[in-house]
Amino acid sequence: MNAGTTELTAYDLGGFWDEMFDADGHVREHYAPLARRLATLSAQDVTRRQLAAELSFQARGITFAVNQDPSGIEKIIPFDLIPRIITAEEWQRIERGLEQRVRALNLFLHDVYHEQKILRSGLIPPELILGARGYRRGFRGVEVPRGVYTHIVGSDLVRDASGEFYVLEDNLRTPSGVSYVVENRRVLKRVWPQLFTDHDVRPVEGYPQDLLDVLRAVAQPIAHEPTIVLLTPGVHNSAFFEHAFLAKAMGIEMVEGSDLFVDDATVYMRTTSGRQRVDVIYRRIDDDFLDPLALRPDSLLGVPGLLATYRMGRVSVANAVGTGVADDKAVYAYVPTIIKYYLGEDEILPNVKTYVAADPVERAYILEHIGELVVKSVNESGGYGMLIGPHAPASDREEYRRRIEADPRGYIAQPTLALSRHPSWQHDRLDGRHVDLRPFILFSGDEVTITPGGLTRVALRRGSLVVNSSQGGGAKDTWVLS
Amino acid sequence: MLCRVADDLFWMSRYVERAIGVSRLIDVTRHLELDAGDVDFWTPLVPPGIEITGDVRFWLTSDEENADSLVSCVRRARALARGVRESISTEMWEELNQLHASLTRPTAARDVRGDTGGFHRLVREQLQHFQGLADATLAHDEPWHFIELGMYLERAHGITMLLRRQGHLLTNVEGRDTDLVRWLAVLRSAGCAEAYARYYALRIEPARIVEFLLLNPVFPQSVRFGLTRAMESLGVIAALREGAGNDPGPAVRTLGRVRALVEHGAVDEIYEQGFDDFLATVQSAIAAVSDQVIATYLRDQPHAGRLVGVARAAVLMAAQQQQ
Repeated sequence: MNAGTTELTAYDLGGFWDEMFDADGHVREHYAPLARRLATLSAQDVTRRQLAAELSFQARGITFAVNQDPSGIEKIIPFDLIPRIITAEEWQRIERGLEQRVRALNLFLHDVYHEQKILRSGLIPPELILGARGYRRGFRGVEVPRGVYTHIVGSDLVRDASGEFYVLEDNLRTPSGVSYVVENRRVLKRVWPQLFTDHDVRPVEGYPQDLLDVLRAVAQPIAHEPTIVLLTPGVHNSAFFEHAFLAKAMGIEMVEGSDLFVDDATVYMRTTSGRQRVDVIYRRIDDDFLDPLALRPDSLLGVPGLLATYRMGRVSVANAVGTGVADDKAVYAYVPTIIKYYLGEDEILPNVKTYVAADPVERAYILEHIGELVVKSVNESGGYGMLIGPHAPASDREEYRRRIEADPRGYIAQPTLALSRHPSWQHDRLDGRHVDLRPFILFSGDEVTITPGGLTRVALRRGSLVVNSSQGGGAKDTWVLS
Repeated sequence: MLCRVADDLFWMSRYVERAIGVSRLIDVTRHLELDAGDVDFWTPLVPPGIEITGDVRFWLTSDEENADSLVSCVRRARALARGVRESISTEMWEELNQLHASLTRPTAARDVRGDTGGFHRLVREQLQHFQGLADATLAHDEPWHFIELGMYLERAHGITMLLRRQGHLLTNVEGRDTDLVRWLAVLRSAGCAEAYARYYALRIEPARIVEFLLLNPVFPQSVRFGLTRAMESLGVIAALREGAGNDPGPAVRTLGRVRALVEHGAVDEIYEQGFDDFLATVQSAIAAVSDQVIATYLRDQPHAGRLVGVARAAVLMAAQQQQ
């Protein structure tokens, strides 16, 4: 008997939906070749590959700096060797659901920055939209090229105990993680090439080129051969590796705010041979910091005059300014309504049940059931500003109760989901860990392009539900079968 | 190309070259000490005006307080490379990243003490590999020219510095054996003992060493060779700027003048006019070229963001939500 087989039979489902095993503990059909492969290997062999993968990430400097920690400590995102596999049928449905969502959200954004028909329809309380922190009043009436607001979207999907996929949130401002999708695949191919001979896996390397197509498509017509740049907050940012990765893969300049300046309603970059015009800015800086003249006067990261130039339609910015209103977690609760209103369709991928604290009835429910719910601040991301009721000490629950009462518009709550689990390679054996899935969706105005798969994040701490890299989460390679 | 990127590539390349020079100097001085006994060869390696309390070798190798120590140079080069990693090849980045990781590991200090020769040789090989990768994996266009310019200006500067600090070894004081050991050490510090032997096939003499290190047209460690290569790269960079209708600045002329000095110099004249004066002239000219390159090409306009509030900017950078 070899160690691999032993491990597979000793696997504990823990009462959760497992991606690899069905409720009876049998390997799901699309995981069968992987299970057979594992059975031929000793635990030491698998662990050796796991170590080789970690070394590879370290050597290549695929690291992130932990937010709010300018000391510059770099960590790698822990890589979990066992790939997640999604069938072609499952993926088809996810793809259609995400496309529907992104199209509807762009129509919604156009509407709230123009006629505001949906606010007059009575379907969404207008104060919820107009009072959202992400709503940019000053950009009402500004035309964006091809009507595209969210060129890049990263939506977080989760599976509950029944195996149904839900959308947990949409990231519509500066979604990150796509570089890990590509790098995880590269590293797994390097350390365990044999796996890929057993399965027909759809490639993910096309993402940077697809993104470049989208950025070129939204260049203003005045630019014949548009100059496209990626605007990064700089080397201390948690996603700096990704910014460099994307700029390099697309062959565009990565710029910091101080590399750009505005003159005569044109954005230029400072080059060694003088100024050069910039047509499209893929920004990885929050709205607030883009232009010290317009929003945050203390921002050293932005470009003075950028937003005035943008408003005149002389430079394109991706994602557009003001998309934050649509990924506000209280507005999220209305996405099914938004889909119905603009497309006349029912949502393909359901939302997670969400209680909006701004609504007095739902607020009362949240306060009463805080011990069973996950409470989230509407504008935070990265796993910050949230309370997992069942796991939190009473003092934290009290604290959140106070916060909700003081600022109801700032909070929502959702039932604590029994997130699906996936076998993870831990201490020389397979052990179940909770996972989510973040696909990356590109929108050029005509086409929606979704890279097959996305980033599977893993809550590596046993029993934990928090998958964010800033909170000890790891990542897996994610396969969509063709 | 972006001024900021050019700036960072230029300095990255200078720090890598500087680290190679420091490593060679330590390695050679250690050998010299073993061969030539009870003389303090270390103190002259410390620039005038700097007080060191501890071990000079530690100060040169690992002291973080010394901005030009081997470890500091590698750390600075790697930090710059990280900021412009989209502009260099993945191979270059990984080489420097791994070297940095091995130097900052807790066991690195033991490696230094345990086997000095092996340690320095390994570090030097990795740094030279990095330079080789820059040559082999980058297009030879503007970014590469800034890397070349940085490397050769630093090298020319490093050799003049070496001659000033080790010039005291190039004298006839002791017996033949000891002198020879000292003179060889100077050549080795510049990594050119073998090349010298092949080039002259004559006995080693101080004047010829000086001639070789300053005036040789074909050996890559000589000051003349370095300035010639720097001139070629600066020429390309200046032409690009001129082609875009902008003033290429004074750096080309300053570099041209100092190169003419070594191109048309003769070693006996240099000794007549004063060896140290000559070295000082070359050194300050190289420093002027560097300043002028920075002013014209790397600071096209003052960068408020780079000069003001750097610490605050770091906090803001870190705080940008990446969803």
